Amino acid sequence: MSTAAAGITAEGVAKRFRHRVKGEIYAVRDVTLDVRPGEFLTLLGPSGCGKTTMLRIIGGFERPDAGRVLIGGQDVTWQPANRRNLGFVFQNYALFPHLSVFENVAYGLRVRRQSEEAVARAVGDVLALVGLSAYERQFPNQLSGGEQQRVALARAIVIQPRVLLFDEPLSNLDARLRVQMRVEIRALQRRLSITAVYVTHDQEEAMAVSDRIAVMEAGRVVQQGSAEDLYYRPQSEFLANFIGRANLVRGRVVAADAAGAEIEALGLRMRTPTPGLAPGAAVKPVLRPEALALADAPGPAIIVSRMFLGDSVEYVVRLAGETLYISASSASASPALSEGRSVALRMAAREVAILPERSP
Amino acid sequence: MARPSGPARAPSALTRSLADPALSASVLLLWGALALFVVYPMLMLLARIFWVDGALSFAGLRAVLTDANQLRSLWNSLLLATLVGTAGTALGLGFALAAERCGLPPWMRTVVDAAVLLPLISPPFTTAIAMIFSFGPRGLITYDLLGIKGFSVYGLGSTLFSETLTYFPIAYLTLRPVLAAIDANVEAMALSLGASRWRVFRTVTLPLAVPGLANAFLLLFAASLADFATPLILAGNGFPVLPTQVYLQITGLFDLRGGAALSFVLLGPALAVFLLQRYWVSRAYYVTVTGKAGAQTRLSTVAVWVRGALFALCAFTTLLIVYLYALLLFASLVKAFGANHAWTLDHYRHIFTDGWNAIRDTLIIAAFAMPLGGLFGILVGYLVARREFPGRRSMELISMLNYALPGTIVGIAYLIAFNDPPIMLTGTALIIVACYVFRYGATGIRATMALLAQIDRSLEEASQSLGASTATTFRRITLPLILPAFFAGLGVVFIRSMTAISATIFLVSLSWTLITVKILNDMTELLLGPAAAYSVFVIAVVFVVIALTSWMLRRLRAGGAPAASLLGG
Amino acid sequence: MKNLVQVAFVALAALGIAPAAAQKTVNAYSIWPENWARPMFDEFEKATGIKVNFVRFSSGEALSRVIAEKNNPRIDVLFGGPVETHAAGIKDGVFESYRPPAFARLPARFKHADGQWVAIADDPLVFMSNNKFLKEHGLKPPASWADLLHPAYKNTLQMADARTSGTAVTRIFSILEVNGRDEAKAFAYMRKLRPNVQLYTKSGGGGTLPVGLGQAGAGIFFIVDALDTKAKGYDVSISFPQEGIGTAAEAIALIKGAKNPEAGKKLIDWATSPAMQAHFARYKINFVPAHPDVAVEASLAEVLKGAKIFPIDADYAGANRKRIIDRWIADVLNLGS
Repeated sequence: MSTAAAGITAEGVAKRFRHRVKGEIYAVRDVTLDVRPGEFLTLLGPSGCGKTTMLRIIGGFERPDAGRVLIGGQDVTWQPANRRNLGFVFQNYALFPHLSVFENVAYGLRVRRQSEEAVARAVGDVLALVGLSAYERQFPNQLSGGEQQRVALARAIVIQPRVLLFDEPLSNLDARLRVQMRVEIRALQRRLSITAVYVTHDQEEAMAVSDRIAVMEAGRVVQQGSAEDLYYRPQSEFLANFIGRANLVRGRVVAADAAGAEIEALGLRMRTPTPGLAPGAAVKPVLRPEALALADAPGPAIIVSRMFLGDSVEYVVRLAGETLYISASSASASPALSEGRSVALRMAAREVAILPERSP
Repeated sequence: MARPSGPARAPSALTRSLADPALSASVLLLWGALALFVVYPMLMLLARIFWVDGALSFAGLRAVLTDANQLRSLWNSLLLATLVGTAGTALGLGFALAAERCGLPPWMRTVVDAAVLLPLISPPFTTAIAMIFSFGPRGLITYDLLGIKGFSVYGLGSTLFSETLTYFPIAYLTLRPVLAAIDANVEAMALSLGASRWRVFRTVTLPLAVPGLANAFLLLFAASLADFATPLILAGNGFPVLPTQVYLQITGLFDLRGGAALSFVLLGPALAVFLLQRYWVSRAYYVTVTGKAGAQTRLSTVAVWVRGALFALCAFTTLLIVYLYALLLFASLVKAFGANHAWTLDHYRHIFTDGWNAIRDTLIIAAFAMPLGGLFGILVGYLVARREFPGRRSMELISMLNYALPGTIVGIAYLIAFNDPPIMLTGTALIIVACYVFRYGATGIRATMALLAQIDRSLEEASQSLGASTATTFRRITLPLILPAFFAGLGVVFIRSMTAISATIFLVSLSWTLITVKILNDMTELLLGPAAAYSVFVIAVVFVVIALTSWMLRRLRAGGAPAASLLGG
Repeated sequence: MKNLVQVAFVALAALGIAPAAAQKTVNAYSIWPENWARPMFDEFEKATGIKVNFVRFSSGEALSRVIAEKNNPRIDVLFGGPVETHAAGIKDGVFESYRPPAFARLPARFKHADGQWVAIADDPLVFMSNNKFLKEHGLKPPASWADLLHPAYKNTLQMADARTSGTAVTRIFSILEVNGRDEAKAFAYMRKLRPNVQLYTKSGGGGTLPVGLGQAGAGIFFIVDALDTKAKGYDVSISFPQEGIGTAAEAIALIKGAKNPEAGKKLIDWATSPAMQAHFARYKINFVPAHPDVAVEASLAEVLKGAKIFPIDADYAGANRKRIIDRWIADVLNLGS
């Protein structure tokens, strides 16, 4: 199955809604995106940030009040949804309850008036792809959540769309299934080389499957980049806290050079690759929980609580009036580090990022 | 990436709708039909009342409002409607409680359902006549059984009794799903907190059922307000009510203007009820109805003695209904009811020979009205619920208008509008079919919208995302899913076509006559045998059609398609 | 599919709007009940081959329809009904003058001077009472208008409603006549009678069955309805008030602008002649024939023996009909019960 994957471009897209209480609100406010053909982009953000609206605009279910949307270089802003040749996977699967699995998947092909043999072949292939060949005659209400999700996926793929759009497809599944399905979705997308735009509020899920992530807040894209970009180089306090967890402390530049600077915070020395900093300047380093470690030696930090999580151990530590979250792998955590003990901290990471001066 | 300057130029709404030809065609077609068969007659009615000799005049209306007798009729109508609404809702609630909270065995429920169905599907006058012979001065029950002499069967009491028996099934069918939908867990929880059964009923069940109760009351109120047939027989001269007064004014005193003015007075309360239902009750109502099924078993929230009382109530009422209809059957099979009780099939012979015209005409008209009415219902329901186009809300309101108004008003309006040029339809079948389609097809609208409310929008969006146009999406996805509403609409239009009288009494003619009008004529001539035979025939035919429609509904795996939409209203 | 339906539909509707086929049919509103009109029309068809298409309406309804359809009459003939109905319609100009062959032989009260209507039968009013009721109260069949005022009759009488029935109009004008056309006296009587009236019925014969069954004690009806009840087997007595009671001619009229005037005229010819009226006896229809050449059927003649019956003046009734009925509605009907 080969598809001609298309890129998506959104330029200055905005969408207003009339809210009963709040009056007119902007669900999407001046969003510009560029998705490369074959790329897996995730729109990530808390609920109400506009990611679903943005997705629906790309899909053609909402009309933007401003801006353009281009798919494969073609302006589709005013094109009705049924002409865009996209695959849309809905949060509630939206399987047609009165049609069998086979007919559900065949639906798009029948609309395109393909011959019976072509339909049978394509449906057979795609059901095999998602591992549901035996389920052709079943009806949606006889399937489990995961199976329904896979049928929805099959139905979207079989029409060989240029782009796949996912609207929080896994949020109705239990945790274990979610993890399993996201791997499958990613594998399928890679295999078929289809461009995908994926919406979720789960940052772990986003990081696991995406080539790039666009984080949205209050209708705007606040940062785009790979998972590592976002994790290690968040542009704002919001982003630092949204992706993973962060200990945001106050620090001071001790020395600077061409490659970066040396910072002091919490009585520790750390390095940041950000150039152009003035010595003595106040900065906010982003200390991820795994960036710090507890030394098995007495020190000013007090362990407030200790949680054993299986593969890791988490400590809540108080030091100099700050509450810090520190995570260590179980293999290396010492049982001697128990609650109430006073310990010293040390740096476990080589480098840290600092938040830019102007935090949006 | 260049930023565009200013907002994107959106194609106008007109261009967008032209891009969707199926949508624009249907909307235009519907507006045309509504304009011709709903708006135009109403305007002509108002013109007849208020436009005299080329000028606006309130004289006609003033004459009615200052006439003490007509005001009395208005008051009587409102009083009767309120009483019927209350009594019918209470009785319906009793039945619903018995069905949903007392653990009736399934076979008993079927019997009750069938018995309760009879009044709803009967042609007019059936209970009224049986009542005269049971409760008259020498009635079977009052005189022969209870020895009461000189009991007056005409008046408020009998009319109230007959109408309550006729309309309480509507309340029952409305309340039963409401009670069924109340999550059993909620009541169980109240019980577990130590509340007594009565307290649970009073503080949990009843408040949750209030929207259903209000809806039932309003439905019954409207039905009684519009009822023309029962008061014609039972109200006597001492208790005039508006619909009958209107009829007498027009047909007896050949005063079309006066009759129209009178009917205008009826318009007020009828519209009020309609609006109340739409804007107040319906909102709360659907929420409770679409609740998901809770636990399997439902704890009995009714004490034993109450259960016994409810059983007795249901049994008594059911027996009463069965008795009245048995009387009807008896009257159709004896030579002269009350005088000569020799068995005979003459009456049936008569209706199939001399009355064949009426039977044929009624069935033909019903056959045409049925599919058109069903189509009207789902088309309007779908467009209003799912599509955006200018004037959407108005279309919904206007399509319900003929249904909300009493039949007498609609009949007069049609008579006035289509009797003279430019559009002359009186004397044809078209006028009767149109009356049925636009009056009873409207029940399909509500049923469709209710069903659509339960169908997630994402199904249609999924279809679109897969490349299907609006028309294809409607045909392959929406239509199959709202088919239950279509069949319900078919059923209602058919039943009403067989049993309607208040509107169509004005519309029959030389070429087209209806069974119900024949029954009315026979009733007034006191030819009970033929009247009873016609009635039994109608009931039998309607029963068969309902059975067929229910079977179709069940086959579509609709399960739980509200029977209220099939028969209510 | 919908298109096909609509086409068939329009065709059918057109069938409805199209006038009746040629002169082999005549359209009529019959004020006579179906079970009397139908045999007569069947005989007419046998005699002439012309089919009668008819619908039955009570007199008030029939007249109002004819007037409403004035500009586009749907019928050719108004068949039967008390003559005062026809007289009232003359004002609205809905009839066409036509003198059938029998016209000359009919006495003056059985025809309109200009031929706007012609009588086909005569129908006296009678008192009819239930024998069991009489026995229970120790009464004889009422032989005077005053008898009906007896307290035993309280809420037991049924008679026609003047708003819809010609029977009532004839009755009211009878009462006027026996009171020397003194409206005050007549209305005083009717008001006194009111509490005894259980129900004013929509149609003239509507009270016959209740009286027959004993649901009502007595009533005032046309003789056709009363005798019909007795013939069915109900235990009733027919009586006449000594002061006299009215009779109303039953008339037939040709509609102005009729679409089948020739067939309509043939029907009028037939109905006003012995050809139709000789059938009354055969079909046990107890009208008194209007044509002098037709003998009154023996048992009917027996009932009428000794009864004081006077004709209602058609012109007087026609001229005052609306006013009297309005007054009846206001002064008598709405006294309430």
